Amino acid sequence: MILMYIITGALVLASLIIQGHSSFDVLRIGGVKPDLVFIVIVYFAYSFGSLYGEVTGFIGGILNDAISNSPLGFMAFPKMALGFIIGFFGRSIFKENLFTIFLLIFIASIAKGVITLILAYLFHEGALSSVTSIILPESFYNALLSPPLFFLFDKIFEQELSREGR
Amino acid sequence: MEFFTRHKALILFIVFTLFCFISLSIQSSRATNVVEGAGNMVIFPFQKLYHAIQTNISLLWSGFSQLRNAQEELEKTRARLQYYESITEEVEEIKRENQQLRNLLGLNERLPYDSVLSTIISKDPDNWFRTIIINRGSSDGIKVNMPVVAFFGDEKAIIGKIIEVRGSISRILPIISPDLKIGVVFQESRYPGLLSGYSAIGKMCIVDYVDKTATIKAGDIVITSGQGGVFPQGLLVGVAIRSFPSESGAFQRVLVKPYINFDLIENVIVIKKEPDLEILKLTEEEIQQ
Repeated sequence: MILMYIITGALVLASLIIQGHSSFDVLRIGGVKPDLVFIVIVYFAYSFGSLYGEVTGFIGGILNDAISNSPLGFMAFPKMALGFIIGFFGRSIFKENLFTIFLLIFIASIAKGVITLILAYLFHEGALSSVTSIILPESFYNALLSPPLFFLFDKIFEQELSREGR
Repeated sequence: MEFFTRHKALILFIVFTLFCFISLSIQSSRATNVVEGAGNMVIFPFQKLYHAIQTNISLLWSGFSQLRNAQEELEKTRARLQYYESITEEVEEIKRENQQLRNLLGLNERLPYDSVLSTIISKDPDNWFRTIIINRGSSDGIKVNMPVVAFFGDEKAIIGKIIEVRGSISRILPIISPDLKIGVVFQESRYPGLLSGYSAIGKMCIVDYVDKTATIKAGDIVITSGQGGVFPQGLLVGVAIRSFPSESGAFQRVLVKPYINFDLIENVIVIKKEPDLEILKLTEEEIQQ
């Protein structure tokens, strides 16, 4: 179990670092880059339940806020909330195949974007144009990347998943 | 106790939610800064390590790939060196003439500023903010509100300003961010305006409050006016793309493409220019109004 926590922490940290590095800018499409940390969080919520999802979401989000210019909690709340909600449904509803994983990440990313936009209106500066300029393209981008990443994570956590009967 | 064990996930959700909303309500306070500082301490060593590994691999690869071009480059450089040697005298003469003209016009001699060369180690990981993190901080004498530039050809073009400084890292707010507003002028017509980022994710800037009678053409060069208290006068900003009337119709707005490509930039120069605090405060108050 401790090994799993270490791998989880390493995955969150690695995705934050890769996503923040200048070389990652080459992956921008239309000015938007995918949210790798969020894909990792959704995977943990989807595979290991609400508690694991929300804790990973909260820690990943707080670290994201720390290295970003966003106010503390701005990225943490949507990630934590989605980690909690997705953990409820998990693999029981979204059976594992390419399309459902694509759909899960797409819907989750839209929900994350909407919550972030509401927080932006409440605590920073919100603009409705973010729906078309950030939320939709990022959701699509996340969804495209999620099937291969989920496949990779399934291989990494194969033992844990079989132990939990998933 | 059993209730807490059974509803652990829900209770944690409530606790985390409260934490986030309290933190968002008291943002930029000492408490939130401490938590952000702790987060930075966890992440930045890894970021620096990743950057170092990535840079060394790139250097190794470019070393291999550029070896074959080395001879050709050497010959080109020799030819260029001969050319520069021939124009040294000419440059000295122009300098002398320039100094004489300055003296005649009674202009103050331009203040020379120290500068610090820095490398970009990270950018905002999300799509909602556009800040840049460099590998120099307070230990290198960097302070908040110092201007940051980069080379565009032989000229210095503006990148943004320092908004946060820690021990060995600093955060830059780039000119493509809508949160940064700087005073600019059009180099040829000398009409002033207020430049800021056009959108949260775009690479364009917009100049507001340009006199509606001003004739702005595509390709007009935009430079800093030096009136905001942060940026020295005359730094390159970008080129005008097109102009259109503002919503009120009293002014015109000009879309500007910055000289620097923010996706490709790797090194920047921090100019150690202390901000003129009185002018800065006045400008910020005016912008808020």
